[in-house]
Amino acid sequence: MKSKPVEKKRKARDEESDSESDDELGNGLFDGVLEASEDEEDYIPSDEIDDGDSESEVSDGSEDAEEEDEDALLSDEIPSDDDMGKLSKGAEELEITEPGVDPKPKHQEEEDRNYKVVKDANGGERYVYDEIDPVYDSDDSDAQGPVNTIGDIPLTFYDSYPHIGYDINGKKIMRPATGDALQSLLDTIEVPKGWTGLTDVNTGNPLNLTQEELELVRRVQHGLVPDEGYDPYPDTVEWFTSKQETMPLSAAPEPKRRFLPSKNEAKQVMKLVRAIREGRILPYKPPEEREREEEEKEEVQFDLWQDEEPAAPNPMHIPAPKLPPPGYEMSYNPPEEYLPTKEEREEWEKTDPEDREKEFLPQKFNSLRKVPAWGTLVKERFERCMDLYLAPRVRKNRLNIDPNSLLPKLPSPAELKPFPTVVQTIFRGHEGTVRSVAIDPTGVALATGGSDGTVRVWELLTGRQVWSVKLSSEDPVYTVRWRPTKDAFILAASAGEDVFLMVPTHSSVTPTLDQASRDVLAAGFGYATNGQQPATAPGKEPAGKWARPGTKLEDAGVLVRVTVRSAVKVITWHRRGDHFATVSPEGQRSSVAIHTLSKHLTQIPFRKLHGLAQTVVFHPLKPLFFVATMRTVRCYDLQKVELVKIVQPGAKWISSLDIHSGGDHLIVGSYDRRLLWHDLDLSNRPHKTMRFHPKAIRAVRYHKGGLPLFADASDDGTLQIFYGKVPNDQLESPTIVPVKQLKGHKVVNQVGVVDIDWHPREPWCVSAGADGTARLWM
Amino acid sequence: MAKIKKKGQSGQAKNYITRTQAVKKLQISLPDFRKLCIWKGIYPREPRSRKKVSKSATASTTFYYTKDIQYLQHEPLLQKFREQKVLEKKISRALGRGDVGDAARLERNAGRPDQTGKPRYTLHHVIRERYPTFIDAIRDLDDCLSMLFLFANLPSTTSVPAKMIARCERLCHEFQHYLITSHSLRKSFLSIKGIYYQANIQGEDVLWLVPYKFNQRVVGDIDFRIMGTFVEFYMTLLGFVNYRLYSSIGLKYPPKFDQTKDDKGAELAALTLEGVNLATNDDTTKAIANGEGHGPDPKVQAEVDKLVKKLRTESDADKADEEMGEGDDEEEEKATDAIDKFEPAAPGGDVLPQPTYSGNDPSKLFANCTFFLSRETPRQSLEFILRAFGCKRIGWDSILGEGSFTTDESDPSITHQIVDRPIIQAATAEQGDGEDNQTAQKLGPNQRYPGRIYVQPQWVWDCVNDEELKSPELYAPGAALPPHLSPFVKPTQGQYDPTVPLEEQETEGEALDAEIEDAKDEAGSEEEEDEVDNDMDVADDNDDDEEEDSDAEEDEEEEDEEDEEEDEEEVLQRQRELEAEISGKAVKSKQVDPKLKAKLDKKKALERKKKEEAEDLERAKGMLSKKKRKLFEQMQYTNKKKSTEDMKLRSKRRKLEKEKAAGKA
Repeated sequence: MKSKPVEKKRKARDEESDSESDDELGNGLFDGVLEASEDEEDYIPSDEIDDGDSESEVSDGSEDAEEEDEDALLSDEIPSDDDMGKLSKGAEELEITEPGVDPKPKHQEEEDRNYKVVKDANGGERYVYDEIDPVYDSDDSDAQGPVNTIGDIPLTFYDSYPHIGYDINGKKIMRPATGDALQSLLDTIEVPKGWTGLTDVNTGNPLNLTQEELELVRRVQHGLVPDEGYDPYPDTVEWFTSKQETMPLSAAPEPKRRFLPSKNEAKQVMKLVRAIREGRILPYKPPEEREREEEEKEEVQFDLWQDEEPAAPNPMHIPAPKLPPPGYEMSYNPPEEYLPTKEEREEWEKTDPEDREKEFLPQKFNSLRKVPAWGTLVKERFERCMDLYLAPRVRKNRLNIDPNSLLPKLPSPAELKPFPTVVQTIFRGHEGTVRSVAIDPTGVALATGGSDGTVRVWELLTGRQVWSVKLSSEDPVYTVRWRPTKDAFILAASAGEDVFLMVPTHSSVTPTLDQASRDVLAAGFGYATNGQQPATAPGKEPAGKWARPGTKLEDAGVLVRVTVRSAVKVITWHRRGDHFATVSPEGQRSSVAIHTLSKHLTQIPFRKLHGLAQTVVFHPLKPLFFVATMRTVRCYDLQKVELVKIVQPGAKWISSLDIHSGGDHLIVGSYDRRLLWHDLDLSNRPHKTMRFHPKAIRAVRYHKGGLPLFADASDDGTLQIFYGKVPNDQLESPTIVPVKQLKGHKVVNQVGVVDIDWHPREPWCVSAGADGTARLWM
Repeated sequence: MAKIKKKGQSGQAKNYITRTQAVKKLQISLPDFRKLCIWKGIYPREPRSRKKVSKSATASTTFYYTKDIQYLQHEPLLQKFREQKVLEKKISRALGRGDVGDAARLERNAGRPDQTGKPRYTLHHVIRERYPTFIDAIRDLDDCLSMLFLFANLPSTTSVPAKMIARCERLCHEFQHYLITSHSLRKSFLSIKGIYYQANIQGEDVLWLVPYKFNQRVVGDIDFRIMGTFVEFYMTLLGFVNYRLYSSIGLKYPPKFDQTKDDKGAELAALTLEGVNLATNDDTTKAIANGEGHGPDPKVQAEVDKLVKKLRTESDADKADEEMGEGDDEEEEKATDAIDKFEPAAPGGDVLPQPTYSGNDPSKLFANCTFFLSRETPRQSLEFILRAFGCKRIGWDSILGEGSFTTDESDPSITHQIVDRPIIQAATAEQGDGEDNQTAQKLGPNQRYPGRIYVQPQWVWDCVNDEELKSPELYAPGAALPPHLSPFVKPTQGQYDPTVPLEEQETEGEALDAEIEDAKDEAGSEEEEDEVDNDMDVADDNDDDEEEDSDAEEDEEEEDEEDEEEDEEEVLQRQRELEAEISGKAVKSKQVDPKLKAKLDKKKALERKKKEEAEDLERAKGMLSKKKRKLFEQMQYTNKKKSTEDMKLRSKRRKLEKEKAAGKA
C-alpha cells in the first residue's frame, strides 16, 4: 500500500509536469489531488495483468531510488520540462544501477502502454486507449461477445432470413448452419464435451457448457455453495483473546481515565463515609459481640403504660373466659367423699376420653412428696392456647331463672273436684279381655261384654253379677251399649256379624218396665217392611236381617238379632233410642249401617267411604252424623243428606271419637298416642293436642251428665281424667286441665284399658281392661 | 324491577370473612396469620346463621369479623412478616444457586436491623393496643403466668430453645420477687396438677398454676410453634408488667442477676433487687437477700429487726421519713385502706353486706418464724410462699441449692422445720453410728431437735389459706393429714360443703333415711329372733330406699305398685290382727320400735308428699308448649345433675362417718 501512492505520485507528477509548468507547488496541496487521481487510476484496469504486476515489482524494487530521484527533482531549482523520454531515461538509469532486478527492454515498455498518442484537432496530444477485453473475472457486464441486438422480439421473426439479428456494430449475425438429419444423428452418437442438447436462444448454436459450468450447475443442484473454493465454516480467528499478545492488536495508547481516580467512585465512597460517620451504617462487628448486643437490646424495658388512658371497651370484644378455679376434688389430699368408688373408677376408665365428664379422677396422696407430675399438663395448656386462638367466642345469655317459673299456674286439682280418683269396685268374671262397658241410663246397672262371648250385667255399686248370657262361642262381644232412654231397659251387643238386642233382668227393672222394653223390641216385627228390605238388589245380601235369635237366647232375654254383612265393632245409639248405628270396619261400602228399631229397618247411608270407618257418633242436638275414618272425621247432615264438614285431627289412625253434650266440641283419640280436642266452630284443626300416654289411646269419652270431665283409656294401662270446661260464651276457649291418672289395670299382651264409660250423673267412670276386669272409679 | 341481589354482598355475609379469605386478603402465609391473630388477640366468631354468612357452597369452619381483618391490615407487623418472607426467598435462592457464602451473608445480615436484614419486631405496641391500661393487662395475666411458669419448667428442645426457657424462668422469678416484696400473694392450693397461686395485684385477682418441679412429659401432638408464639407475646407482656410493678414499689428493673448464683441453683436468690434511689438501697436488698449478711446470732438479729421495725412504724406515723421501701408502702396503705365499719345509727334501715377487713396482715404471718426445709420438701414453692407471707429466714439443706439462710440443720434460731418423710419404725439401735450418713443430717431417723416445731408442708398452705397459724399437731410428720381444701371455692346455697357438718346440709328425706337405717341397725342387733314378717318388711323398705337412692328419676308405675304393695301389706296386717283377735292370742304384731315406726310414718308421709308434687309437676308440664317444656327439662336436668352429685357426696360421707364411728367403737 505504501508504495502505491508514491508510484501514483510519480505518475501524477508526470502528468502534471506536462500540463503545468509551475514547479513551486506545495507538496501537501498536491497530495490531495493526487489522492483523488489515484482512484481514477485504480479504476483503469490494465489490459495485461502481468504488466501491472511487473510494474509494481519494478516500483517496489526502485522505491528508494525513486525517492532519491524525487528529492533530486525537488532540489532542482529549475524544474525541467521533462518528457516521458527523460523520465524513462531516468528509469533506465535506475535499472542499470539496480542490479538485483532483471532489466526490461525499453521497447517492451512502450509496447506495454495501453494507449496510443494521437494528434488531436488542436494539434495537441491525445491518448487513445486500447479496447478493454473484459475477462470472466471482470466486473464489466457490458463486454459480452457478439450480442444479438434485435431486442425483445421472438427469433421466429427472422425465420425467413439468413441472419438472426444484428450485433452491436450493426452487422448481421448469420444463422449458424444446422446440420441435416444424419449430421444430427452423428452428433447424438458422438457427444462432444460440454454438449447439452440445448440451443442457445441468442445465437442459435448448440449450447455447450464448459466443465466448470457443469460443475457449477451440479453444485447448485445439490444445494452446495456454488463456488467451490468457498468455505462456509472457516476456523475463527481470535483477534481478541485473553492471551497477552506480544504485539498488541491496537497500538492505541492507554487512555487517561485509566490512570486517574474516578470522581464518581469518590462520591460514592464519601457517601458511605458520611453514613458511617453519622451512624447510619454500622461498621462490621464480630458475631459474638453482635449477639451480645442484641441480647441487651432485647431487654430494653420501659413504662409502657406511662400515659395510659382508659379506653371504652370495644362492644364487640369478648374477653377470653378464665379457666375455672380448682375445686375440692382437685386437691392432692381431698376430703375422702370426693374419691371415686371402684365402680366409678371403672366406668371412668371405660369411657372414651372424649366422652368423660371430668377429665381427671380425684386422687389422694397422703403426703406431698408422693405427688407426681401431672402427665397432661403441657397438653392442657396447649389446648387452652388453641382455644384462645381458634375457639369462636360467643356471648351466651344464661337464663338464670327458677325453672318452676316457666310452669303455668294450674288450678289445683282440689278446686276441680269432683273427679274419680280411686278404684271403688272391681268386676271380675270375664275370661279374657273385657271388651266393652256401659252404664245404663239410670245409673244402677253395668253391662260388660268380653272376649269370652258373654254379656254380663252387674250391680254397679256392689259389683255383683246379676245377669249373663253367652251370645257366641267363637266371636268376642265387641261392644255393648244401652239404649239411652229411661222408658225401656234395652241393651245392644254385638258378636261377630250379629247385633243382639236384649232386655236383661235387673233388680231395678220393674215388670212394667220390662214389658215396655219387650214391646219396644217387638214392635218392629209387626212393621210392614219386615223381611223385605228396601233397595236390595236381587242376589245381593240384604244390609241387615232382623230375626229372633232362637228360643234359648229368647228365654235368656235376648229378643232380636240383626245380622249385617261383616263383624260389628261399634254400636252407637241415637239419643231418642229409635236408631242405632253400627260400624264394621271390614265391611267396605257397608261398614256403616243405620238401624231403625221401630221398623226393624237397616240402611246403608254411604255408597262409598273414604278410608276405613272406625267409629261413628250422632250429634246430640242436631240431625248430624259423624263418621271417623282412619285420618279424618266427616260430619254429614242426615236430613239434607250432604257432607257438612271434614275435621282433620292430624292423627295417623283414629281409634275413638266422642262429642260433647253441647255439640260443639269433639274429642278424638288415636292409636298414635294423641288425644285431640276439637272446637267445631273454630277450626277443622285440633284446638289442643295432648300427648300424655306412652301407648295408644283406645277410647275417649265425655261425661254426659253435666260435669266438665272427659277421660281417655290407653294401652299403657292407665286412664287419664281431664277437666274440660266448655264456656257458655262462644268466644272463650275451653279450659282443659289434666287432673288425674288412674292406674290399676294390668297390661296384657300390650293391651291395657280398652273401653271406658261415665256414670250418667255422678263423677264416676268405669273402665274395661285387658286383664279381665272392669273397674269402677269414683 | 329492583336489581337482583347477589349472594354475599350485603347483610351478615359482609360482616364475616372466612379464614382462607382473610389469609388471602392479608397476603401472608397461614402461620404468619396465626401469629398475627395470637398477638393481636383476634379470634374467630360464631355467626348466628352459618348458612347466611358463608359465600360458598362448602361449609366453612372458621369465620372472622371482616372489621377485625381490616384492622389487621394496618398492622406494622405485617410489613415485617413480608420482609422476612423476602429475605427467606433470597436465602433459598442463594442456596439453590449453590451460593452458600451468599446465603450465609444474608443470614448473617439478617441480624442487622437497618440493612436488608431480618425484620426485627417488637411487640410492645401490640401490648399497648390490647391493654390500654395497666389494669387491663393485670386482668389478663392468668394465662400468661401459667404459660410462663410451665415453660420455665420445660426441658429445652429444638422447638423450645434454652434461651427462651431461661428468659421465662427469669421473668417468673422477677414476678415472684415482686409478690414477695409487695406481699400481694393471697392464697395457694396444692392440687394434683400443680400448685395454684392467687395474688391480688392492684385490686385484681390473678390466679395461676405452677407445675411441680418434675420433668414435664410432652404427650400427644402439641405444636410448640403455636405455644412459642404465645410465649413470645407473654414474655414481652410480663416484662413490661414487671417493669411497671417494680417501679410502682420503687425498685429498679431489671434487678441484678447473678449468673454464678443461678448456676448453683439459687433460683430466687440469684436476683438482687435495688431501690431506685440509693438511700433505700440497703433496706430493700436486705428484704430479699435472705439474711445473707446476718450475724452469727439470729436471735439477737431478730430482736434488732423488731426494734428497727418498731422504729420505722413510728417514723411512718410521724411521716418524717420519706422512705420508699416496700414496708413503708405497706404501712401507708394500711393507714388509708382500712375499711370503716358502718354501724347502723338508728334502727329500721336495711343491712348492707360489708366487706370484712381481715385483721391478719399477710406480710406478718410467718414474720417471726425461721424455717428449715428438709431435703424432701419442694424448696422453690415453699421458699416463695413463706417469703411472700413475711418469713425472712429460711434455711435448707445444701442439696437443695444456693441461697439459704443456713444449711445447718442444728441452727438454734430455727423455729419450724418442714418435714415430709414418714416416721421410721425400726432401727433405734442404729442411732449411734450416724457418721456414715451425710454430714448435714446428724440426727437419727426419728430424732428431733428440741424447741422447734416439725410440720408437714401442707401446714404452710393451710396456714396461708386460713390466714392464721394452724395448730401443728394435726400436721406432725407421719400423721394422717386433714384434707386440703381449695380456697377458691365459694360456698353457695344448697351445694355440698365438706367443711360443714353433714347434719346441716342434708335434706329432710336423707336425714330420715339415715336415722331409720341407724335405728334398724340397732334393732337388728338387739332382736335376733325377729319375725319373718318384720324382716321382710325391713327388707322391702330397704329395697325401696335403695331404689330411691340409686334411681332419682323413678318410674311412677313402680311407685304405684309399691303403694299397692304397701296397701296390701297393711290389709294383711289388719287381717292378721283380726285373726289373732278371733283366736284369742296376743297380737303378734311387728315388734317395732315406736320411734322407728314414727320415723317410718314420717318417711311415708314425706314420700307421699313428694309423689303428689311430682304428679302436679307432670300435669303442669303437660300444659307447656313444646319449646318451653324442652327448656324446662334442660333446666331440670342440670339442676338434678348437680343435686345428685351432691347427694352422692353426702351419702359417701355418711358412710365414711359411720365407718369411722364403727372403727372407734
